[in-house]
Amino acid sequence: MGYPPSGVQKSSVISEHCGHSVDSPVKLMVESSSSGGRGAEEGRPPPHIADVIDSKENTVQGMFSHTGTTQGEKGQLHSSQDHEVPESCDKVQHQTSNQPCGAKLPNGHAVKSSHPAGSYLNSEDNCVIANGELLADSRGGALDAVASAPPPQDASEDQTTSSEDPKDARNSVFNNTRSCSEGLSLRTFSSSTFLNTDSAPLSPDDDETFSSSDRPDDPSFTDVSLKPRNTYESSRRQSAPDNIPGVLSVAVADLTLSQRKHGISEIFSRNLFSRKQREAQSAPGWKLFGKVPLRESPPKDSKTIQQEYEAKVSKSGQRKNLEFEPLSTTALILEDRPANLPAKSEEEAQRHRQEYDEMVAEAKKRELKEAQKKKKQMKERFKQEESIVNAMVVWNNEILPNWESMRGTRRVRDLWWQGLPPNVRGKVWSLAIGNEMNITSDLYEIFLSRAKERWKSFRETGSEMESDADSADRESSLDLIKLDISRTFPPLFIFQKGGPYHDLLHSVLGAYTCYRPDVGYVQGMSFIAAVLILNLEEAEAFIAFTNLLNKPCQMAFFRVDHELMLKYFAAFEVFFEENLPRLFNHFKSSNLTPDLYLIDWIFTLYTKSLPLDVACRVWDVFCRDGEEFLFRTGLGILRLYEEVLLQMDFIHIAQFLTRLPEDTPSERLFSCIANTQMISGNRKWTQVFNALLKDKEMEKSSSPTVKNS
Amino acid sequence: MSGGAELGFTEHLFKVLVIGDHKVGKTSFVKRYVKNQFYEELKTTIGVDFSMKVIDWDSHTRVRLQLWDIAGQERLRGLNRVFFKRSSGALVVYDMTNGSTLDGALNWKHELDSQVMLKNGRPIPAVLLANKCDETKVCRRNASLLEKLCQEKGFIGWFQTSAKENINVDEAAKFLVKHILQNNEESVKEEEQNMQINLKQQSKSNSTCC
Repeated sequence: MGYPPSGVQKSSVISEHCGHSVDSPVKLMVESSSSGGRGAEEGRPPPHIADVIDSKENTVQGMFSHTGTTQGEKGQLHSSQDHEVPESCDKVQHQTSNQPCGAKLPNGHAVKSSHPAGSYLNSEDNCVIANGELLADSRGGALDAVASAPPPQDASEDQTTSSEDPKDARNSVFNNTRSCSEGLSLRTFSSSTFLNTDSAPLSPDDDETFSSSDRPDDPSFTDVSLKPRNTYESSRRQSAPDNIPGVLSVAVADLTLSQRKHGISEIFSRNLFSRKQREAQSAPGWKLFGKVPLRESPPKDSKTIQQEYEAKVSKSGQRKNLEFEPLSTTALILEDRPANLPAKSEEEAQRHRQEYDEMVAEAKKRELKEAQKKKKQMKERFKQEESIVNAMVVWNNEILPNWESMRGTRRVRDLWWQGLPPNVRGKVWSLAIGNEMNITSDLYEIFLSRAKERWKSFRETGSEMESDADSADRESSLDLIKLDISRTFPPLFIFQKGGPYHDLLHSVLGAYTCYRPDVGYVQGMSFIAAVLILNLEEAEAFIAFTNLLNKPCQMAFFRVDHELMLKYFAAFEVFFEENLPRLFNHFKSSNLTPDLYLIDWIFTLYTKSLPLDVACRVWDVFCRDGEEFLFRTGLGILRLYEEVLLQMDFIHIAQFLTRLPEDTPSERLFSCIANTQMISGNRKWTQVFNALLKDKEMEKSSSPTVKNS
Repeated sequence: MSGGAELGFTEHLFKVLVIGDHKVGKTSFVKRYVKNQFYEELKTTIGVDFSMKVIDWDSHTRVRLQLWDIAGQERLRGLNRVFFKRSSGALVVYDMTNGSTLDGALNWKHELDSQVMLKNGRPIPAVLLANKCDETKVCRRNASLLEKLCQEKGFIGWFQTSAKENINVDEAAKFLVKHILQNNEESVKEEEQNMQINLKQQSKSNSTCC
């Protein structure tokens, strides 16, 4: 069955990966478990995070014993459990990334509350579970093995199979879980599983099942209420998007079945498939993947087919030679000839068998190769995650407590360059941006309440009826905030109406327009505020936002000081020519001026054009090095894509640069940035820029009519 | 702005602006026109969004449209003015469900005419788009009002469009391209005439010179 070793490898890696940040997913689970009701009512204390983790370990153990790995590996895995929890923060990143540009959340924030993004995530999990269960059942092989493995609950198995009353309470539970798998939220999911555990004792035979399934040799499984989550967790982990779905779902199936616990897994197998289970034990028949069969008729179909198949298979034992069958080839192949067709000749049959074997061998090779590739990727990822974890420890224990003395040291700067670990990111940004404006959270509250008043009166008066232009502009900027919020990282579905951070973003931007009516709201701000909100608490985000926008470069842009902006563009061009003369000339000859792409890049600090995780890394160093780094990043992007850009004409370059590829690789970009020297003939950025500013003053004195647009 | 002729086949490259107030559906319109896709939520445009549409106009003409979809916020207008130059046509969009954006559209048109014009000094062709027509209906009075506005403000025509339901998107663009091509031909003719006049003058001067 599958390849156990790689399955094992994977799960250990997965559990390692994203090993930082605190407890958000678990918190979520605990919340929902207590809301699940009965478990708590029965006097059990709400499960602690530790419990959950504990149970997870067991899950994994279960799988291990099943897949036959050694104790040593198990030990390894255990150690990896310590920082296992935050995986889900990574999951959010993946699952919300329909459009990877802008999809990665820089930390696990999003999981905290029950919001659309969260339920999205969870519904997907549920589906996976459903699939896993079905796989378990339809894959005769897996079940076979499970059944032959010696779980002590075999007796309970028999009981459950004999009690097949369709009106059984469990059936309704099954329905619940099914509807869950069709996309309801975690809450529904967990409550239904709870219902399951709690309703089980209602029928007498289940009571017995219960007691017999409580393995005495497994002390950590005493808390029944943990079990559903347990299964849930395991499939969750298995469903991490980097895995090979086929192999893993088999693993999930094995795992859940081998546990023989009262999770939804068992509901599935008991109610729907228990009859089939026994038949499946004797021969692998159909391998049906994916779809959830409806309750009555489809199983019957497959049953008859299975029987036919069994008869045939005993004649030609051919296929059993293959120790391994790739899933992709055998998945939906009806291995025998339909009855209404004449029998094959011996030769033909022989040939077909041969061809079939070749196909299988080919596919096997391919899948092995792919698995190796994945393994390698996982290894790299694992390494990366490990370094993040290490970096996090260093930041938290050494650097942050001694911020002022250490921030400038070589070591810290190097570490900083490599990207801040997501859970210290916000803190470091705050510290690096500083608080020159002396904003406090009280001040934020004041501006926020002012903004709220204004919204209220705005809603009452309807529209821009007020006479003086200034207030009309302000009103329209309030109006604009509302419109723009929904257009901030749309694929994340966090800031959209109904999303968890919609109001937050609205508040921060609204408070800012009250704090700086002279600047007001300018498009592009919503992106910056959004990124801060993803990394910081509300008031802190506001403080960072106001201080960030007060930096000279940002002020120039957001006040739309066109002339000053042109100076920035001109300075950029100086370094552009210095670093990438060929591309510079190509742009010149295509009439492509830097404002066409720099406006987008600088206004949004790259959050709109770069993938969000890459943009956050740019922010990291921007906080360290200041505005110069923004332009250096721009040059790094141009360097990264130099060869491609040299082949393009005006419109394609312009298009390309405002919509950078969604898979822009962070490492390569940063090495391109590192290769970009911000020195032009001994002059640094600030010197070049200041020289240009002086020109401006001269221009001004010579032609006083130059208007400030 | 037109490419070279080869065996009677001409390729034209035109820059077309898409302007109008924020959130009237400029980017959605362009997305529908170029990719035939519609998204409920698109990212705010900062600066300019670029798109390209290639039209095989007839058997011997190909038109490449550079669509410059320009950010709508009032505050950024000064900034975006520089993007107007050398454009051959414009789609001026307003949101039918939001009356104030019609005034905005007229402002944009005014701004456009003050920034760019054809070689002969006439305004560049601009079409007024009453977008989001799936959400409301134009009553007859509105229609006549729009007709009148078009004449007053120098639009070559108006369409009610819906990027969402794909109503009149191609039609409006086609209408604009037709006018751009006409202008282009005229200006080519004018140039030829000028050339001829120049040649005549030259030959005259040549003859007198000797």
